Amino acid sequence: MTSQPVAAYPARDQYAKPFLVALLSGCGVALALGLYAKLHHPTKYALDVAGFSSPLYAKAWLTTAAVVLAVVQLITGARITRQAAAPAWMAGLHRWSGRIAILLTVPVIIHCIYALGFGTYSARVIAHSVLGCIFYGAFVTKMLCLVRRDAMPRWALPVMGGVVFVSLVALWATSALWLFATKGVHS
Amino acid sequence: MTRLGPLITLGSVLVLAVVFLLANTQAGKPVSTVASATATPATTAPATTSAPLHALYAGRSSGDQVTVAIAINGHKVAADLNAGQASEVSLQGSVNGSKFTLTSSNGPRLTGSISGQDMFGTVTGFLGQSFPFSAAQAVVQAVYTGRSSGNQVTLAVATDGDKAAAYICNGKTIEAWLQGSVNGNQVSLTGSKGANLTGSLSGLDMFGTVTASAGLSFPFSAELSPRPAGVYQARIAVNGLATRIGWAVLPDGTQLGVAVAGTTKYPAPLLDLNNDSFTLDGASFTAAPVAGKDTVVSP
Repeated sequence: MTSQPVAAYPARDQYAKPFLVALLSGCGVALALGLYAKLHHPTKYALDVAGFSSPLYAKAWLTTAAVVLAVVQLITGARITRQAAAPAWMAGLHRWSGRIAILLTVPVIIHCIYALGFGTYSARVIAHSVLGCIFYGAFVTKMLCLVRRDAMPRWALPVMGGVVFVSLVALWATSALWLFATKGVHS
Repeated sequence: MTRLGPLITLGSVLVLAVVFLLANTQAGKPVSTVASATATPATTAPATTSAPLHALYAGRSSGDQVTVAIAINGHKVAADLNAGQASEVSLQGSVNGSKFTLTSSNGPRLTGSISGQDMFGTVTGFLGQSFPFSAAQAVVQAVYTGRSSGNQVTLAVATDGDKAAAYICNGKTIEAWLQGSVNGNQVSLTGSKGANLTGSLSGLDMFGTVTASAGLSFPFSAELSPRPAGVYQARIAVNGLATRIGWAVLPDGTQLGVAVAGTTKYPAPLLDLNNDSFTLDGASFTAAPVAGKDTVVSP
């Protein structure tokens, strides 16, 4: 009877270190992004993406596409986590929709931090700047969790996936949704 | 067990980020000290590149050496650089896509590009210096004045950002007040009894059709005009009769106006453009310049 707690401690110790490494790496990435965005002299100039009326709309649509894929992520991720017998294609769909989604956000974040920087002039902009750092930090943490998936606590992937999803949707709401609501929905 | 898939994903994100960062570094010149984040639109941006842009931008250089005011009208662009102490320079130039280049007779050049509600660029050769600048779109007050093609009516249109107010008259019996909006390069105003004006901005000009009352339509042209050109209005009581007088004043001082008291219309008295005053029946009154956002047609 006394062996139970004894058995539980090693189990926790096994996953504590890899998870902490992943978590701290993510925190480091978030901090680095925030510091770079704040300290880098914003150029207010960046590459235009063809086919859009302005860089803002290009960014808004890229983010919107990423959010749509993030919903796919949420659905497939929930199935994979809950059901051991989830079809194999679902894991593939989860991986590829996630890869495409994160790659779609790359031009957006580069424009954000290179051309605009960490803004503090309104509540929306502060929230957006902080969320951007959290999003990439959480994404890095989740990827590192996957690297040593068997060494992670069971809740690590769903929780980090949830943080990535929620922060992306909030990023979208504080930028693309705001742009569409104030300037209209067009390309 | 260590899995490489997530690391490959992370690595490709990093590579793509570096590629974009380098591409941006190559494409852009460092500009502006204005701290700003995410989307930062101003007020009335025509967000389409297909329609010509008509907008005023105001800003300053990154080292705060000069203030910059840039007016874009279709393919024409004019700018004013002001460093205080009478060092002011006017520049003229053209817009090509989102890029523009301006020159002045005595040296300074200005190049830049429009990015939505912002513009970024470089001033060279101003007081022996060169520096980057940024500017943001500003609400612009402007006056366009002109005549119908057969000179049947004179008109003055005041714009204020996306709002517009106008007065048309022939100085005797035809007159109409119009209220409306500017959307990109399209101007659309309406008044009572079927009066309306539709026009489009092209360069520094406005072309279109104006209808004074049902069946009385004329094509017209008008141009961006400095003061004293404008729309002027006075609401006074003459012999106990509520009277509304409107004037359309052209930049050379030519003015046409009509006074309306009930159903009676007569030529407006001469407006003294030095102090906007006029005399009617021996009494002195003052008229007011009408801005684009003023209400001139009762809803």
